[in-house]
Amino acid sequence: MERTANLDLMHLRAERSRAGTGISARLFAVVIIGCGLLSALLASWVPLQFSIVTVFLFAGPHNWFELRYFLMRLPRRFGRSRTFFLVAFAGIGALTAAYLSLPLLYYSGFWSGQSWPHAIATWNTLLLLWIATLIWLRGKQHARRNWGWAWPLAFALAALNWTAPEMFSLAIVYAHPLVALWFLDRHLSRMRPAWLNTYRRCLLLLPLLIAGVIWQLAGTNSLADDNGLAWRVTQHAGAELLPNVSSHLLVSLHVFLEMLHYGVWLVALPLIGARGALWGLKTIPLARHSRGFPRTVAAILLAGLCLVALLWAGFSTSYAATRDIYFAVAITHVLAEAPFLLRML
Amino acid sequence: MKRMLTFCAAGVIVVASVICANADIARPKPSPSPAREGKVVLHTGLTVVPDARTYEARLQIPEKNLPALREALGMVQTNPSTVQRIAHSSTRTIMAGLFLFLSLSCAGVWMARSGQRRSHKVIAALLLGTAIIGAAAVITRANAGPPGYYRWRGLPQALSEGRATQGGLDVEIVPEGEGIKLIIPLRNTIKPKGDEE
Repeated sequence: MERTANLDLMHLRAERSRAGTGISARLFAVVIIGCGLLSALLASWVPLQFSIVTVFLFAGPHNWFELRYFLMRLPRRFGRSRTFFLVAFAGIGALTAAYLSLPLLYYSGFWSGQSWPHAIATWNTLLLLWIATLIWLRGKQHARRNWGWAWPLAFALAALNWTAPEMFSLAIVYAHPLVALWFLDRHLSRMRPAWLNTYRRCLLLLPLLIAGVIWQLAGTNSLADDNGLAWRVTQHAGAELLPNVSSHLLVSLHVFLEMLHYGVWLVALPLIGARGALWGLKTIPLARHSRGFPRTVAAILLAGLCLVALLWAGFSTSYAATRDIYFAVAITHVLAEAPFLLRML
Repeated sequence: MKRMLTFCAAGVIVVASVICANADIARPKPSPSPAREGKVVLHTGLTVVPDARTYEARLQIPEKNLPALREALGMVQTNPSTVQRIAHSSTRTIMAGLFLFLSLSCAGVWMARSGQRRSHKVIAALLLGTAIIGAAAVITRANAGPPGYYRWRGLPQALSEGRATQGGLDVEIVPEGEGIKLIIPLRNTIKPKGDEE
């Protein structure tokens, strides 16, 4: 009798839990869809202004949140993953240095404008080979995983890259914001598995929104890029590479995807399954452990906050120059996403 | 502390180098150079003919005019365009080919080494599907654009409004004829009164 009562109680709790989760998941879906629609609307309506404001407000903070998230995911001891992390950090450092040195070499007359695509193609190839190495190393950590497909895929993409290096770089610019959605997917599978299906259904809306933006703006006139800032924004979205496509469409699409990226890193990931305050170090294993490095972690996070403040000051003083510097240095966070995403797979 | 100082110093150096290098600043927008004037190399005549039966615009050049035209064109020195440079970039073609070769080789080795029959079937199905879709696209010309006359349909109105019109053009060498003739495919053209049946 007692056992039956206990079973009934368990069943009731499970029912309540399901009902509670259902409401939360619905709310989660409404927030996601609302944010997506609002972003698409603003990005289509005032693309240049929206781009300038969002980069000013969110570029720095989202990098700090990413840094904190990665610190949370960093194990105190690398153990079997030592090689993986060594390759990851070495790649991030080397590729960032190479990326920053490309314009330096160009402006110092090391190569001509005709060789510029070759330099870009070489950097893209190194990036692909680095990612393939990380996938391969990660695959080796589990006997069941057969991730040897990484090499043929990387080589095929490298071949594609050498046919049109600048277009390949532009594809990275547009694909990078979508990586955040993958992070959120993995994060939900750990923290809120009950929301995962709702989230994936909401993702189906993304191609529809993109198609809607393209349909609405394909026939619009290109944006006037007569000043340096507008020119930078349109160039970043690929206006020079795609002269037959309206720059209004390109900038809108890029800003829309960037907004999704910022939304995931600034709102979704910190709030879903959050334990403790953002400034607390208890959720970071590297700082929490008795043999950890709490001071170093605190110093890194503090330095990050200072850089965010510096970035805002720079944007206030000279927006265009700071934007250029930011997008050069920001390649580091783009690269850092690869190993940490692989760690979550 | 020492590590932190080193870390901060490295960060400062990176940021400073970014400023010095003008990193990520796109190549300067090419300053509008004075427009190069065209050079007349040959004077000839042109007849523009609307034709409702053709699908593509054609520029007919009589054979007898060809030597003079060839000679005139041969005297002109041109700079290759960006597209031509890309098309004739042997380094990039070689690299793309090399990576494609590596990709196919590695894919073969990976397939041979992986013992999962299920994945083999999936890959075989994908390859077969791609081949079928590709063949169907070639046979049905599914990747072809709209017919040539579609782009020229607004020509009369564009001419009256002083606007330019862009469309495809076949250059044709014809055995007979007087002067160069441009045939524009136009549907619903008003036929000259004498031609009315």
